[in-house]
Amino acid sequence: MRPIERDLLRFKEIVRGEVKKRAREFLTREELFGQVEGRLVSIPLPQLELPKIVYGEPLGEGLGLGGPGTESLGPGGHVPVAELELEEFLDLMGEALRLPRLRPKGEGEVTEEAFRYTTIARKGPRGLRHVRRTLKESLKRALITGEYRPEEPLLVPEREDLRYKAPKTKPRPHAQAVVLFALDVSGSMREEELRLVKTLSFWITLWIKRHFPRLERRYLLHDAEAWEVSEEEFFRAREGGGTRLSSALLLAEEILKPYPEAFYNRYLYHFSDGENWQGDTAVALEALRRLLPTLALYGYAQVQGPYGQGHFLEDLKETLGEEEGLAATEVRGKEDLPLALRRLLGG
Amino acid sequence: MRKELRRWAERLRERALAEGLSFPPVLFEEVGPEEMAMLAAYGGFPRRYPHWRFGSEYLRYRETYRYGLGRIYELVVNTHPVRAYLLRGNTLLAQKLVMAHVYAHADFFQNNLAFKPIPKDMHEEMAHHAAFVEKAMERHGARSVEEFLDLALSLENLIDPQALYIQREEDASPKERPPDRLRVRPYLDPYVNPPPEPPKEAEEGASPSPLPPRPTRDILGFLARHAPLAPWQKGILEIIREESLYYVPQAATKILNEGWATYWHTRLLLPLLSPAEALEFAELQAGLLAPQGLNPYRLGYLLLKEVEDRWDKGRFGPEYEALPLGERLTYERPTGEGLKKLFQVRTIHTDLGFLDSFLTPEFALRQRLISPEDLPRFAEAKQALLFRLTNAGYPIVELVDANYGNRGELLLEHAYEGVGLDLKKTKAVLENLHRLWGRPVHLKTVVEGKEALLSAGA
Repeated sequence: MRPIERDLLRFKEIVRGEVKKRAREFLTREELFGQVEGRLVSIPLPQLELPKIVYGEPLGEGLGLGGPGTESLGPGGHVPVAELELEEFLDLMGEALRLPRLRPKGEGEVTEEAFRYTTIARKGPRGLRHVRRTLKESLKRALITGEYRPEEPLLVPEREDLRYKAPKTKPRPHAQAVVLFALDVSGSMREEELRLVKTLSFWITLWIKRHFPRLERRYLLHDAEAWEVSEEEFFRAREGGGTRLSSALLLAEEILKPYPEAFYNRYLYHFSDGENWQGDTAVALEALRRLLPTLALYGYAQVQGPYGQGHFLEDLKETLGEEEGLAATEVRGKEDLPLALRRLLGG
Repeated sequence: MRKELRRWAERLRERALAEGLSFPPVLFEEVGPEEMAMLAAYGGFPRRYPHWRFGSEYLRYRETYRYGLGRIYELVVNTHPVRAYLLRGNTLLAQKLVMAHVYAHADFFQNNLAFKPIPKDMHEEMAHHAAFVEKAMERHGARSVEEFLDLALSLENLIDPQALYIQREEDASPKERPPDRLRVRPYLDPYVNPPPEPPKEAEEGASPSPLPPRPTRDILGFLARHAPLAPWQKGILEIIREESLYYVPQAATKILNEGWATYWHTRLLLPLLSPAEALEFAELQAGLLAPQGLNPYRLGYLLLKEVEDRWDKGRFGPEYEALPLGERLTYERPTGEGLKKLFQVRTIHTDLGFLDSFLTPEFALRQRLISPEDLPRFAEAKQALLFRLTNAGYPIVELVDANYGNRGELLLEHAYEGVGLDLKKTKAVLENLHRLWGRPVHLKTVVEGKEALLSAGA
């Protein structure tokens, strides 16, 4: 083994053994949303960091030169990347953060046929011939007919001895789910806040997907108006405009229509700084009151912007706080992400 | 290496020498992406001591390449001869560009003053270090050595970057170093020249000189000399310290060095391009000089071009400096001293001096580093940029007292400049220091505007 492989192996051992107590750090690390073969990826490339005495706040950028580093010639910058032990990582993370298992709500179950090669048939293609079973049949026949001689155990399978592996169809219950993310991109949300909620959306998607492999994802952005966007646009969204939270909820209602609650676990996540236009809060809450019973979960995360945060969280808790399926939380900084994630998943 | 590449390497070398660059022989080698990832993880050297963080870096580079998110075109190592690795499978033009780029790096390594004290046989040093650590692992167990390495590496930025360039008094005191001391590699020192028996208490003089005699930033070095550790542990501290110091000039000249190499690959290659290659060259160059964050290639290159232009047109000296901003832009007094000035800049500056001297409001405006309405803030913004480059972006921490409160405790002090420390990480480092020193460890700093003493083991 080359020395670097040995170092890599050792690194993986450490990550596997210790990731539980370090997962918290991972999550708060910045994620890269990159494109791989046209698909959006972000990644938990496991990284262990040795502590060093470093500055606790980003150093002033000066001269519009800040921002992410670059990778070009030379081993200067670093780009985080997809590491494909995601499943494993998610499990560990789930445990470490005590994320709740999601339970399908209502009767939204659809059966699906799954093929499994679990039985034996007398007919089939040659490629699926089950040699051992065939020889066993052959041996049985030889014993019965007395052709079998222990001193010269020669078996010649005949046509009737042939056995094949065969598929069996199994109905499998399969819950369906849809998740809709609504993001407030009004002027009061800065790059910093947007990044926090995008990180949250990413992990929420992964966790729901873990329980509902057939997860449909929809995205909408809103300021005073709401409009639906693609996943890519969502993760690239920038700020601008005023805020009317109700616009998002009304559009959400529209978007979710093709996913009847009887068949779908409908998740709606809404990220905002809660700075709503006066008079709109009542409209928003009214819309929500209608929407809430049809959802598996409505997650509302309020981030702290540069000018503090608005009142929507309080208003929401006051009017609908007792309702089932409401998960509201606030996110003031990176440190809050693990807790917010747990809350938003209903834990 | 392919014949054609070798021919081009030779041709570019001759052109570079003819233009005035000077450098030792350069050995080019083509390697595949995995090998490149390995070399990058190992900081350019084929053999390093065993440690998981190299594995982690390797994984990162390898996957970055695999997912097409970035590739390392070239890796150049400051040794004699200079070794440079090219990524196999790149187009001929990309390889040409890289080779021209590498010659300029080689010139920089040889001529920039910051690199003067750097040993030119570092690949051997690194291999010795690897052998030392492996030996320690055999004798003391891989696990305990790894744990010690983790401790030591978390202190790797606690060095005195100036140690390369000046001899501090404390090291030279004749009492500590008897003349019959054998000069050997630092990490072997504790074996070859074991410290003298400590004086018995009765014989001890009235007042021992304080430790350290004056505040020092060389905390790793101090621990290697004075912490109650086994010789192999001291050896490891020396190794980490020496390797950290090796990378100091590289970190301190990133912008200037990349700018210099970019300036030269452009200058050497442009006249040689066939029309068919011009477009590809433009594309490579655009990627390299993308205005994305603090791109050292871009900033260094543009600023060097600016210096060349200014000195060509005589835009320097007291007469020029005295002009108001508006008139400076049109001032002209042709001298043609641009290239000469560039060679001088390449010799005497590190990034800090380079930017401090030449990053002017005119330049910032023209390159849109600052908007016209922000111009009054220029000095402040420039200061922020320089601060970011100071000490490689790490806080400056000194060891003030090794007998704090007369209890044998360590007292460190952070030279607070308005930016606070990451408390979680700092506390973890103090814990590590405490484990090495065996007695409580304190750090004086400022937390949320108030003076604070962070402690571990107290």
